[in-house]
Amino acid sequence: MQIGRIHSWKKVTAQLLLLAIPTVALVLYLLYNANEYFALLQNNSSEQVIYFATGIVISLAFYAYRFRFITTALLLFGAYFIAYKFLGKLTIGEFDAFFISVKFLIFALLFSAGWLAGYGFSRSRYFTIFWSVFLLVLQIIVVSKTADITARALISAFAPVLVYAFYIIYTAELIRNMNEDETKFGWFITKRLVGFISLALIVLFGLLLIFQKEFNSIEQDWGGGQGGKNNGGKESMTKQNKDGSLSNKDQMKMTGSLSKDKRLVFVAKLDNFFPDGKTPNPLYFTSTYYTKFDTLTQTFEEDKKLPYNDLFSPDPSKIPLYFAKTDTAVIRNTMATLNRKVVSTDVYRVILSPKEYIAPSTAFFCQPLPVENEYKSQFKSAYRAKMWVSDLNSAYFIYNPAGNKQLEAFQKQRFDRLREASSYAGLDKKFMDYYTFMPRNPEYNRISELAQQITKNAKTPADKMIAIRNYFTQKDEFGQPLFRYSDNPGIPGLPSASKLNYFLFENRKGYCAYFAGATLFLLRSLGIPSRIAAGFLTVDRSSKNPGWYWFYADQAHAWVQLYFPGYGWIDFDTTVPDQNTQQSPQPDGTPPMNTQQALLVADGQAVSIDTAAKRVTMKVKKMLFHDENIPAPEAKDLFMDVSMASVTRDTGEGKLSDIKTGTNIVVVSYAEAMKNVMANETDNLASLIVKLPKPAPIDEIKIMETEEQKKERQKIQAKVSQPFDWVKALWIGLAIIGGFILLLFLLPWLIWQYLNSKAKSNTAARLKAYNIYTASMYYLNQMGIARENQSPQQFAEETDKRFGSSFNRFTNVYQKIKYSSVPLTSNEEMLVQNFYSPFIEKVKNNIPIKKRISGFANIYNTVHFFTKSKIS
Amino acid sequence: MQQEIIEQNIQIEEALENIQKLVDNIETVIRGKRMQIQFILTALLAKGHILMEDNPGTGKTVMAKTLAQSISGRSNEGGVIFKRIQFTPDLLPMDLIGSHIFDDVRKEFIFKKGPLFCNVLLADEINRASPKVQSALLECMAEHQITIGETTYPLEKMFFTIATQNPVEMEGTYPLPAAQLDRFFIKIIFGYVDEETELDIYNNYLGIANNLAHIHQVLSMEEILFLQDEAEKVFVHEEIVKSVRNIVWDTRRHTDIVLGASTRSGITFLKCLKAFALVNGRTFVTEDDLQKITPAVLDHRLIYRNRDAKAKSLASILNKEMDRLSRLKIAERA
Repeated sequence: MQIGRIHSWKKVTAQLLLLAIPTVALVLYLLYNANEYFALLQNNSSEQVIYFATGIVISLAFYAYRFRFITTALLLFGAYFIAYKFLGKLTIGEFDAFFISVKFLIFALLFSAGWLAGYGFSRSRYFTIFWSVFLLVLQIIVVSKTADITARALISAFAPVLVYAFYIIYTAELIRNMNEDETKFGWFITKRLVGFISLALIVLFGLLLIFQKEFNSIEQDWGGGQGGKNNGGKESMTKQNKDGSLSNKDQMKMTGSLSKDKRLVFVAKLDNFFPDGKTPNPLYFTSTYYTKFDTLTQTFEEDKKLPYNDLFSPDPSKIPLYFAKTDTAVIRNTMATLNRKVVSTDVYRVILSPKEYIAPSTAFFCQPLPVENEYKSQFKSAYRAKMWVSDLNSAYFIYNPAGNKQLEAFQKQRFDRLREASSYAGLDKKFMDYYTFMPRNPEYNRISELAQQITKNAKTPADKMIAIRNYFTQKDEFGQPLFRYSDNPGIPGLPSASKLNYFLFENRKGYCAYFAGATLFLLRSLGIPSRIAAGFLTVDRSSKNPGWYWFYADQAHAWVQLYFPGYGWIDFDTTVPDQNTQQSPQPDGTPPMNTQQALLVADGQAVSIDTAAKRVTMKVKKMLFHDENIPAPEAKDLFMDVSMASVTRDTGEGKLSDIKTGTNIVVVSYAEAMKNVMANETDNLASLIVKLPKPAPIDEIKIMETEEQKKERQKIQAKVSQPFDWVKALWIGLAIIGGFILLLFLLPWLIWQYLNSKAKSNTAARLKAYNIYTASMYYLNQMGIARENQSPQQFAEETDKRFGSSFNRFTNVYQKIKYSSVPLTSNEEMLVQNFYSPFIEKVKNNIPIKKRISGFANIYNTVHFFTKSKIS
Repeated sequence: MQQEIIEQNIQIEEALENIQKLVDNIETVIRGKRMQIQFILTALLAKGHILMEDNPGTGKTVMAKTLAQSISGRSNEGGVIFKRIQFTPDLLPMDLIGSHIFDDVRKEFIFKKGPLFCNVLLADEINRASPKVQSALLECMAEHQITIGETTYPLEKMFFTIATQNPVEMEGTYPLPAAQLDRFFIKIIFGYVDEETELDIYNNYLGIANNLAHIHQVLSMEEILFLQDEAEKVFVHEEIVKSVRNIVWDTRRHTDIVLGASTRSGITFLKCLKAFALVNGRTFVTEDDLQKITPAVLDHRLIYRNRDAKAKSLASILNKEMDRLSRLKIAERA
């Protein structure tokens, strides 16, 4: 059966070049954005856009023939269904099936979208408007996922879509009216497109200039802007907060590649030394544990309800200076008694988030400390942490202690110790089940088999652990390392099980999360309780300041912890060293020594502030004096001299004027005058304050802001980082769409007003006739009465027939003016003068108002009027 | 001097009025064919010839007769001489031109003029005659003279041929080659009348026949000669000339047209435009004229790649030009 063509190949080519390619480009851009915010899409925008492009290209070619939409679309859906069933049969295992079906769904969705777009471009004149609005809505949804909205982000999100919208509406109409036999069609189109694009750019930049202020205010309202640079599509082990500080992030993401930066996150002093008391024993700094594996989403997760929870995670910014928060339940939950001691560390944060608490595992104590004045510009704040640390724990677990006798001895000794813990018999079943859980299916069975094979000679958990470590560090038959470290493992975007299998059995390249994930399953398959810890790798590079460690953003790390009965959780790192980029030595600064002893610490609310005299009165609720807690049955006012005091807040240095009546503050004094005051055992707050000098000299003031105060302040400073406001986004999005639509609908009417006023203005008869003719033709065109293949006279005659007007006579005069050298007679002059208004009135009276409005709302008629090149 | 111009203007206006009368006159017999009548008159005023093509029985011959009659009067007395030749396959050139015959009295060969020596010639079914006859006729039309042996006989000053032909595909025809078709200024497809007119014709065919019998002379030969001169003087705006040039060039460049229009065709085109404006009662050419006349003037001069192209290519070329003209702005002329 021969099926007739609707469009010539010339037209289809024009559609492909001028409609399909820009559309595909825009969709690529949208998909690229969408991929950043929707994990389901799995960062595969280039592949997805191919689905879309295939759809649109096939559809454009297909609908150039006289196919009907509904029947063909039904066939298409039938094909989808069959393909889906077929794929379902091919896959083995439910995870694969899930994964394939998601992938197929994405394919079907995008292919259909492309198909529909192709059909719209090919057949429907009004499709472009709906399509543009649809894309705008999509873009709003994507943008609303952005955490920090900046003017740049807004512009880059909406400008392309808006420009595209105008472009596609214009070009589609141009192609619809394309004269297929035009010899110089290419030139015809190019001319118009170049003109259009330059106009669009001018308008766009003009708008940007005009609305720059508004954009900036939106940016400030929505927060962000001053944060650091975006890391693009790459994964980072740390997450950037809106204020530029860093938090430890979901480390177990195993997509894309890892980008590393060299910014200093924090500096810590850890007083953990080997028994000789000189050699520092670094410990990994833990932020959180990933204990649970979600079989549905195939990701590692933190579990708030983990049994025997030994994770202490206070918010240091909520604790007053020098006041400590402790959680001894952590120590009990560790169930570790052997070879344990309390170790303390001081953490000086640089770009670490003030809310973040990072310390070696089993931390149970947090005490915020002030930073010495001279280091205040360098370190935002500090806290002291204390941990219940095992002697057997060390960051030297896998680093080769070659040459260092002391370390070798330590390694041997601790492995001997750990071998003693060979049975998990006495442990709680719930604990064991939880920490040895792993999903059962062929993928994981393969990992189990590998684990059995690796550890076939090992008896105790410790030996098994060493065997696994050796497996990761062993060399293959060519003397090359079997496993390599790579920030960019090039693992296909598959769910975790497949990914780990790919890592373990195929390419054997990956970063810490891969090693940790693989190790976890190896251990759990052997029945050894284990979990993934995320935090920072500790590297001892400082020989000058033993016990001080510098932590950079690229030291963010994930590793495994094993549980040994009696000894508790022991860090176990199987990540192999990165051979390509050796740890480049970082220039470590001077450690911020904290030498002064705080003699007085008071926590309370500011009552009155005199910024000129630098006097502050506060209502003290709690007080530490000479390290003693002073009983405070009731709050008392303390009058203070703050002329020497430095004011700090979570986010850095503050000003005295930041303190308002009612602000929670903590004050610290190191003053000599305090030394002479002694507190008796019977003293309470009231009696002690009487003894203190008036005013009491104060050295440190720390502002403790409540969340509401913080918000208020940030609003005043217009540097807000508040959560995303959906309602606002919706309104702004709707306003943008509304404005776009309104402009589209108003444009024909505005043009008409312009032409109308021109036609009514008094000019010479020749020019007036031209203006009148143009305005009349435009009006008729908007009413859907366009001159297509008629000659002007034929058109005028038909118009006259319809409206009983005298357009034909006027047209004749107009033609005379246009093509003749003969001057107008006085009759003709009169006709020109008196023709216009009655004519328009007549047309108006003959067309119902509803039709007039809909005529003027139709921008396609307008586009047609200005682009038409009539088709035979 | 001014008096003269005014007189001339009056004369033109009278002549223009007469043309309208002529059209109206013919319309009393040939219903619903105003456009075709105008084309025929255009060819007449442009000093050219016209070719009418359509199926038998659409009124071609009646049309030619009516026209001839309304410029020559019922009998040939005093008016123009009208001759009609029915072309048949066995027609010989001498049947047209005339021949030398022996005069018994003077004892010498004298030239007996053939039917070509007339003012209006109806060459009926021209494509049924052999190519030899066809080319004889067409030569005369082009040269305006007949040469036999050593003697050259000029044709009448006003010599207008109305040729009709059946569609080329029909049996027993010798199609005219493109080079000869070129001699006809205008070729029109006569076409059937619309349904209403057809009904009207059936109701009044007796009256129509009567009309034909009583058609009277409206335009004298002098007036026609005068109008032919006037047609040359019609004002053509430079943009229209440019459009004519563009159209001619585009036919040569168009991918679907094998043979484009020649420069001679362009000149003919211009002449026809001027005459057409006059027929429409104007002394200047407008885009309307261009749009209406282009297919009639150019279509038979072009050779298309296929039928599809025939239907579309010239129309698209014309549309482009019409678009250009309709967008022209009127400059404020000093």
